[in-house]
This record gives sequence, structure tokens and C-alpha cells, in this order.
Amino acid sequence: MTDLSSRYSQPSEVILTASNLTQRVDLGRDTLTILQGVTLEIKRGESVAIVGRSGSGKTTLLGLLAGLDTPTEGEVVLEGRAISRLSEDDRAAMRARRVGFVFQSFQLLPALTALENVMLPLELADFDDPAARARELLERVGLGDRLTHTPRQLSGGEQQRVAIARAFACEPVILFADEPTGNLDNQTGQEIQDLLMALNREQGTTLVMVSHDETLAARCQRRLTIEAGHLDTGQEVSA
Amino acid sequence: MSVRKSIGSVARDWRQRDVKVVLSALVIAVATVAIIALFASQLQRTLITSASSFLAGDRQLEAEHGEPIPAEWRQEARSRGLGTARMVEFSTMLSGGNRFQLVSIKAVSDAYPLRGQVEVQKTADGERQQLESGPGPGEVWVNPRLMRLLELEVGDSVEVGNLTLTVSGLLLREPDGGFNMSALAPRVMMHADDVPATGVIQEGSRVEYVNLFAGDESALEGYYQWLQPRLGPSHEWESIRDGATLSDSLERAERFLLLGGSIAVLLASVAVAVASRQYAVGQRDTVALLKTLGLPGRHIGRMYLGRLLVWGIVGTLGGLLVALPVYAFLNNLMARVLEQDVPFTVDVPALAPALATAVVSLFAFAYPPIRRLRHVPAMRVLRSQPGESDGRAWVDIAIAVVAIFGLVWLYAREVMLVLSLIGGLVALLGILALLGWVMVMSLRRVKGGGNAWRLALVGLYRHRRSTLAQIAVFAMTLMLASTLILVRSSLLADWQAQLPEQTPNHFLINIAPDAVDEVESFWGERGQELDTLYPMVRGRLTEINGEPVRQVVSKDDSVNALNRELNLTWMDEMPEDNRVVEGAWRNDQQTDGVSVEAELASELGVEVGDVLGFTVGSETIAEPITSIRTVQWESMKPNFYMAFPPGGALEGLPATWITSFYLPPSQKSALNDFTRQFPTVSLLEVDHIIERIQQIVRQVTQAIEAILALILAASLVVMAAVVSATLQDRQREGALLRTLGGRQSLLVRSTMLEFGLAGLFAGILGVMAAETAVWALQYRMFGGDFRWHWQVALPIPLISAVVLAILGRWQLRPVLQVSPMLLLRRLE
Ligand SMILES: Nc1ncnc2c1ncn2[C@@H]1O[C@H](COP(=O)(O)OP(=O)(O)OP(=O)(O)O)[C@@H](O)[C@H]1O
Ligand SMILES: [Mg+2]
Repeated sequence: MTDLSSRYSQPSEVILTASNLTQRVDLGRDTLTILQGVTLEIKRGESVAIVGRSGSGKTTLLGLLAGLDTPTEGEVVLEGRAISRLSEDDRAAMRARRVGFVFQSFQLLPALTALENVMLPLELADFDDPAARARELLERVGLGDRLTHTPRQLSGGEQQRVAIARAFACEPVILFADEPTGNLDNQTGQEIQDLLMALNREQGTTLVMVSHDETLAARCQRRLTIEAGHLDTGQEVSA
Repeated sequence: MSVRKSIGSVARDWRQRDVKVVLSALVIAVATVAIIALFASQLQRTLITSASSFLAGDRQLEAEHGEPIPAEWRQEARSRGLGTARMVEFSTMLSGGNRFQLVSIKAVSDAYPLRGQVEVQKTADGERQQLESGPGPGEVWVNPRLMRLLELEVGDSVEVGNLTLTVSGLLLREPDGGFNMSALAPRVMMHADDVPATGVIQEGSRVEYVNLFAGDESALEGYYQWLQPRLGPSHEWESIRDGATLSDSLERAERFLLLGGSIAVLLASVAVAVASRQYAVGQRDTVALLKTLGLPGRHIGRMYLGRLLVWGIVGTLGGLLVALPVYAFLNNLMARVLEQDVPFTVDVPALAPALATAVVSLFAFAYPPIRRLRHVPAMRVLRSQPGESDGRAWVDIAIAVVAIFGLVWLYAREVMLVLSLIGGLVALLGILALLGWVMVMSLRRVKGGGNAWRLALVGLYRHRRSTLAQIAVFAMTLMLASTLILVRSSLLADWQAQLPEQTPNHFLINIAPDAVDEVESFWGERGQELDTLYPMVRGRLTEINGEPVRQVVSKDDSVNALNRELNLTWMDEMPEDNRVVEGAWRNDQQTDGVSVEAELASELGVEVGDVLGFTVGSETIAEPITSIRTVQWESMKPNFYMAFPPGGALEGLPATWITSFYLPPSQKSALNDFTRQFPTVSLLEVDHIIERIQQIVRQVTQAIEAILALILAASLVVMAAVVSATLQDRQREGALLRTLGGRQSLLVRSTMLEFGLAGLFAGILGVMAAETAVWALQYRMFGGDFRWHWQVALPIPLISAVVLAILGRWQLRPVLQVSPMLLLRRLE
């Protein structure tokens, strides 16, 4: 948390740019264009909501921005590095240190305890005392007494909190969340939102999330709307 | 409504991965057991038939110095569907080309031989022919040596007693060219119907009448039941299993097949068990869903029973469909290797275990957990409570294990075998429990990290539940396979030791004491070294502790050794392969006492200290027994029931010398010079017999290798099935690790290490358990001297580690090929 203050001192610094992103998939006979010429900029510390109808390409865009996939055309630059030109291993190393994820379906490993699930990215990034840090984070998300429980023994909201603890474990500079409250009831969704926002504030993490949830989108500083693979720039709203 | 839904869910079930795994496990299990059972039963039949040619039939009834065997007995055999043939064996003088020679005649009926073939040459330089008949009436076939001795040619006439016969062929080999020390004279074969006309056989002549029988095992058994009460003391009923050399090999081969089959049954149940257990556990959600839909527990239970039944039937049929072509292929292969016809017969009773195994293990492993699940409230099914463990699982496993061992027992009907395998498995599970504890205690402290080793060790700890279960199954599989490998190695080693290359294949008998040196130098000049020469004195055992032997040994115990003269010898050192089991071999100074062969000693009921009296010619000698020793009758070296010390009572008596030696086929012609130079020395050629035995041992060896290969293939399938049981979890984990920033190479290395370590553990455990099982098996099943074969045992854990590492790498493959994004989409 040493560079925390430096993140705040440059609020206008651009951390992520995407230029002319296009994604097509080959379906044998014809090709399907999922994204077409998406260009955007995200500043450090910002919180951005990506909204759009189902099937419009939100998850695809998020994956490209996070370096989980490479675009057919265009480029993603994260902290000055063109991630689409990195090798798969370099992208992995970058993800380990700089990027966090929260998924709609939690994506916890069923064989591992809550603690071990949170320890996983810490171990991959070679943190000093993964267990201590993981315990700290789980306490932070209110699961200090559920450390040894496996996902099966946790409720959906609790599982998502474990996933959030895991996402923030390595102090990522940017966190991607794909409908983090999509599988939860209103009340629990609200709690998860609060948690995400609080961590975003505490750690100064840039937040990019996909959401159908109006209240969550409204709490973000900026909203990007996607329609059929195109970014609807006219609707861009700054908070 | 709910019924329709449940039917719908059955249809959905077919598409599930777990169901596919269960069905493939069933198919593989049924196929493996069926193939091995069918092949083993076929092999057994083929080997016995092949070996039966040593008797020229499946069974032989011998009447030594007796009356001819009544024709009604053969009539009865034929009425039971058995084939019969008749032989008369005797020694007589044969004259031809103005010379006389003592010959050993074998007169055979038309049906001879019932098994095997006679090899003859119809002209001096004609082709060797394999015939399934003897000479016709009025003809004789004679041994080539006799042809040379009498300077005969094919077409010449010879006289046997009053009868003139035409030489119509050279007798090269007879299937039952027995190894009979008394048949020292050259062999002549003629037709049985000609025997009366020779006038040679009279009251009191030494004649041996033999009847041969061949046919169905059950018909033979039935016939023997009928025959047994009619047999007199001079009758002897023999099967190939009674012969010393071969029966031992055959019996062990049969036991090996039995062991192989039992192991196949076990492996198959393990495969089905793993798959169906996994399926049952995976059904929690479905059961919960059905319960929330309002289906009563009773219905759920019935529905699953029906479903398992359908799978059982489908899997079994599928397995048979796979098994039959493979079996046909193996049959074909066997026919080519053995160079003989192997009919395609499907032994239906042999299939029973295959069918039972799959279905029993399916129900034993899949049904109990599902049955219990239906009592659990839907909510509890969906979310297990913290700290709740499936305590009843042990009961299920116990039930299933009992069921499986019941199956093995049904298959093998050999308590010792089942106990040995159970012993091995119990030892294995015991060690495994300990290992699990050690692993939890020691690996708990390992810190994970970006290093492959640490990640692998942490992985072992975190997956300890599934890993220990997998190690258990791997170790079990490896134990079964290693048991077979270890038994095979010692079997083969034993057989090779029994008849090594250069086994003596010729005997020289009746060497006069003053000719010993000359004989030795004759062969010395030709580069052949003779084995130890033994003196031989023929005598009868007449008294035990001063009482006539006929009174001491009751008459019903037909002790063969008492009916004929024994070969007595004196020797300084005991032959290498003999072992003293009671008393002690003589010391250097001792000149009294006698050493007795163990089996004869027990038949006579004598012990060390008893005094044996012998009659040799007109002399009598009496000596106390100083030692009892075992003899390797199958060693093809001179062996003696009675051995005296040198310089003792026997040495003054008239003796001739006997020895054996190895003569390579290329030197066979030297025998002609030898018989010309030493006409009084009897020459016994057993090279053909040894060749045949070696050939059969080679066949058995190949058969054993084939079974072993099948079992190893089955083990590999089981291991792959076990790995695939956690495939989905592992792939999800791999995908997530990549998303979280794990490098591909790190993922690959740590996974291979984790699997490799598990494989190493499993291999070590498996070999240890196999040693336990083999140690138990050796006494009762194989009777061999089993040593710790580290050359065999050592590579197994290493191979297992490598195989598992490769399997681990293989299951990771889809995780590495595509982008993390696509992976996550697939796993949602
Ligand atoms: N690998 C692929 N192959 C084929 N089609 C794909 C692939 N990936 C995405 N698509 C398609 O592209 C479109 C956009 O997918 P995406 O998951 O990005 O939508 P989304 O906006 O996240 O929808 P939702 O709100 O339902 O999650 C969908 O129609 C989807 O079916
Ligand atoms: Mg989506």
C-alpha cells in the first residue's frame, strides 16, 4: 500500500486505453462480429460501469480489456504496455500483479477452503505470507469466522465476498467485475456493491464493471453503453 | 406430472458426462474380464491338448506285467463318446540282414495316436512326414539307429518271432516317446493286430498293455468313475498332469491364469466402483431437485434402481460386443504362435464372472449412496453443513468390498488366493491411512508459491481427499498388476532354470566299469563333456527293520518302487539339486548308511534310523537310513531313490555306470560311431522330449505374457478413468489459475509434479502390497522360491510416477490451448 498516495495524486492519469477493438469469431461458414471498433479510455482510480442488453458484447469487452483474450483487431494498452502484443506468459504475469477479477458465477475452487481460495493469487504472485494476508482480507469482507469452510458450505453472497477478497488480494491497480451482483438478491447485492465501492476507495483501485443493476451503475463515476458490439458514445455520462 | 419429469431427467441423464464414464467403465470391465476368462479357458484347453500329445491321448490306462486290458472297457469308453487306442509294448529280438538285435517294440492299433503325431520318413532321403497313424498290418517302422546297426533299407524284410514284416519307414519321433529307462533298446513300431502272429508273447513275458483315451473332460471323468472300481493293483490311470516335468509347469500356468482372471475381476470392479461412486455423489443436485419437485423418496429410489438396471444391461451387452472380436483376434494370434488349430469356442460358464462383476459392483457402489440421499431433506442435500462428513461411506465401501471378494472367490474358488489378495489390500489401506495422516501433518506447513514444487506440494495437501482416494485406487491397481508381474517373473525364471539351454539330452547307460575311461575319451575327443558318472546296481528292497517289506507296507498302497528293481548307487557328493530334508548327508569317513528319496520314504513310512534290506542278485545288504533327500526328477539327469556312501557295502557288487550329457543337434551323427564302437552301451535319446517340453514352456510363456499385457492395458484404463473422475475440477482449477496470472509452464510443471508424486507414492505402496500378496501366494499357489526381485519391483513406482505425470499433463491439455476467456465461458 506504499504507492497508494501516488495513485490519488494523479487522478487524471490514463491507466487503460482501448483503440478500435474488434472481435470476431469464426463459426465455420460465416464469421460473427461481437465487437466492432470500440475505443475508450479509463483513468486511474475511476469507477466505470459497462451496461447494455444481454448479448451485446459486455463480457467480451471486459475479457479483452483484462487481457484474458486477444482482439481480432485493435489494441489494449494497460499502464503503458500494449497487452495484446505480449506473450501469453507475460500477460499472465501482468494479471497476477496488476489485475483483479470478480465473476458473476464466483468461480471459486470447490475443493479449497475460503482461505485457500484467497491465498491462490497471493501464492502465484509470490507474496510473503499469503495465509496472513488472506485472513486479513477475509476478515475485511466479514468472513473471519468462515476461513476453513468450502464454497459448498457458503451462501451465494458469502461466496461472492470470498471472490472479492481474492480479487483485492494482490492490491491490483485495476479490477474487472462481470455482473458481480447478478446472482444475488437485492439486499445481498447491495452489500456486495458497498463492499466493492469501499475497497475501491480504500485501495484506490480502478473499477470496471459490467452490470444490469441500475443502482450499481448509478454509483459509478462513468457509464459506457454497448449496443450490438458498438460503444454508444453519445450516451456516455460522467458523474 | 412428476413422473413425466423424472422420465425427462432420465433422458437428460444420458447426455451427462458422469453417465458416459459409468457406461464406459462397465463396458471396459465386462470386456476385460470376459476376454481374460475366455482366453484363459481356451488357453488351458489348448495347452492341455498340446501337452496331451505326450501321452498320445488325454488319459492312459497302463497294465504292467498284467493281462491285456479287457476289450469291454474300451467298448464302454467308446459308448461314452471317447476315442480309444490300444498299445502293446515289449522287448524282443529282431532279425534282419542276417543279424540279431534286441529291440523295444511298440505295437499300436489303427486309432493311435489320439493326440499328437508320429514323425516318419518313408524313404531313406525322403521328406519328414507327420502322420496321425502307426504302420499298417504287415509293416514296421524302425528307429534310424537300428537301420544303421542292421544295415537295413526301406523295403527290406525283418522278422519278429515267427512273423516277417516289411520295413516301410524310418521312425523319427513318436508323440509319447516316453522317458522310460527300461526301454533302452532301439524302438520298432508295428501294428497291434500282428502281435499274436509273432508268437513272442507268452505266459510270464514282460509285456505292458496300454489303452489310450481322448475326448471331453467330463466324459473322461465319467468314464473314470465307471472304471475305477474295476481296476486291479497292476493298473495305472494317468493323465498328463501326473507326469513330473510338464504337469508342474502346466499346473503353475493354470494357476497363473486363475490369478490373472481374479485380478481382472478386481480391476474391473475398481473401475466400475470409481465411476459409479462418482456418479452417485454427483446425483445430489438431481435428487434434491426431484425432492423439491415433490417426488417421494420411494419413487426416487425405484427410479434409480431402474436406471442402474438399464445401464447394467446396456454396459454388459456393450462389453460383450467388444470382448468377442478381441477374443477372436487373440485366438487367431494364438493359433499362429502355437502353429496349431485353435477352434473358436465361447466357454459360456467362463463368462459368468464377467457378467456378475460389472452388475454387482455397479449396484454395490452406486446404489447405497443414492438410497441414503433420498432420505436427506432437499436443503441438506444442496448445502452440506460445515464439518459434516459422509460417515456412512465406510459402510458402503465395506459392503462393496465384501461383494467383490465374494466375486473373486466365486471365480477362483481358491481361499488362499482370495486371502492373499485381501491381505495385500488390507496392508495397503493400512499404510495408506498412515500416509494420509503423515501427508496432512507434514504438508500442512508447506507454503505455496510461484514455485512449481511448492505449488505441487500444496496441491497434494489441498486435494488430499481426492488425492488419497486416487492414490488408493492407483495403488490397488498397481498392486494387482505388480502381483502378476512378480509372479510371472519368478515363474519364468523357475522354468528357465528347470530346463536351461544345454540340458543333458542323451543318456549313456550300462557302461561296463572297464569301458568308462574309453567312453569318456570318446566324447572328450569330440568336445563333449559328460556329466557326473554314477555307478548303478540293480536291486530290490526286501526288508524294512528286518521284516519282509510286503508285510510292512500294506498291499493296497501300490508302491511302484517295490514292484521292480531299483537303481542303487553310491556317491561321494550329493547332486547339486538334491536337498536333505531329514538327517544329514554322510561325512567323509562314513561308509555305512543309505540316503532315501523323500517321496518314496513317505510312501514306505520310513524315517532316519530305520534299516533297509536289499537283495542284489544273491547277495543281501542292510543299511540304516542316514538321510532323506528330495530329488529333481524333472532335471533330466540321472536320479536315484537310494544312494550309498562310497567304499561301503554296495561297492563290491557288480555295477555298471550311467551318465548324461548334452549333444548339440549338429553332432547327432557321432552317435553312429559311438554305437558301433560301444555296442553294449545303451543310448537313450531324449532330445526330442526336451525340445517339446521347451516348446510348450515357450508357448505357456507367451500365453502368460499375453494375459499380462491385457491386465496392464486394463490397469491403464482404470487409472485413466480415475484421473478423468476429477478432470472437470482440475480443468476449472487450471483455467482459474491462468486467469489469476499463473504461467502456463508453472501450471504444467506443478501439475505434472503433483501427479508424479502421487504416482510415486501409489507405486511404492502398490509394490509393497504386491510383495505381501506374493509372499502369501507363493506357498500355496506356486510353490516356487520367490525372491525379492528388485529389478522388477524398483521400476514400478518410477513408471507409475511417469505415467501419472503424463496423465496429469494430458488432462491439462484443453486448459492450455485456448485463451482464459474461452475457458471461463466453457466452465460457466
Ligand atoms: N466464442 C464465441 N463463439 C461464438 N459466439 C460467441 C463467443 N463468445 C461470445 N459469443 C457471442 O457474442 C455475443 C456477445 O457475448 P457476450 O458474452 O460478450 O455478451 P454479454 O453482453 O456479456 O451478454 P450477457 O449480458 O448475457 O452476459 C453473444 O451473442 C455470444 O453468444
Ligand atoms: Mg456477460
